[in-house]
Amino acid sequence: MTATLSPTTQWTDVFKTAKGAVYQCDEERCWYVDFAGKVAKFDYRCLLKLRKAVYHIDIEHALLNTTKDPDVEIIFICACDHCYVLSLLQIIALKEILEGTFVMLELNRILHERLFTVSV
Amino acid sequence: MKDLLRIKSLISTEIETLLNQQVKKEAYSSSVYLSMASWCNRNGYDFSSDYFFKQAEEERLHQLKFYKYILDMGGNSISPEITGIKQEYNSFREVFEEALDQEISVTNAIKNIYARCMKEQDFITMEFLNWFLKEQREEEYKARRALELFEVIGEEGTGRWQIDKHVGEIKYNAGA
Repeated sequence: MTATLSPTTQWTDVFKTAKGAVYQCDEERCWYVDFAGKVAKFDYRCLLKLRKAVYHIDIEHALLNTTKDPDVEIIFICACDHCYVLSLLQIIALKEILEGTFVMLELNRILHERLFTVSV
Repeated sequence: MKDLLRIKSLISTEIETLLNQQVKKEAYSSSVYLSMASWCNRNGYDFSSDYFFKQAEEERLHQLKFYKYILDMGGNSISPEITGIKQEYNSFREVFEEALDQEISVTNAIKNIYARCMKEQDFITMEFLNWFLKEQREEEYKARRALELFEVIGEEGTGRWQIDKHVGEIKYNAGA
């Protein structure tokens, strides 16, 4: 379950697909998103902002758009060091990863509530 | 694996979104009441104008209550953008009819958040919302009572003048 992509800290797999993965680092209290050829560090606020930015992209509209503009989206997150320039297929892949990640984080929350909370 | 989301925020993203929508709704209500206060004042209904000024102030306080709650729970409060406020009304009665509609829609929105909290077992937000549910009892009562005055007093003759005079005196006795 644990991966050691970084030499100094322990990362836990949160969600993985063929296109990328998200790891959680408990020590640093952050997540690492391995996608589009780079591993980027996101704290709580930035991860939520990334999710919001990706979810807000209208994929259907972009698919049906027949203009000559390239199908490229720039995902820039305020107060975050990272920026993504992604094609439509990459956006779909990133969205899948983030959806999976948040489902797993929610599952983790439920597990914590059920298993680690002292019941009265 | 630590539950980092829970460490950072007490409320879920869904509840946070709903609460932010409520911030906007309260801000909208406040602006609507302000516009009603202006209309009443321009048309000679000074007591009603004062009544709506007070209502606008109250809605603003509700907005801030939601706003601060989201922040205190570790969420992100969003300052709302308010547009499309109606400035003109066809009649004195229409103003009060719309005021009641506005309160009903606020009550429904709060009920909706409450229902979501129940589903998630977010008892903390439920407890926070209890104050608003009680407040809505008063708000709806006042709006309904104002409309009742139109029936009881009637708009003929000096009716509207009488209604305006009594609007300022509407009080809700929660103990009753």
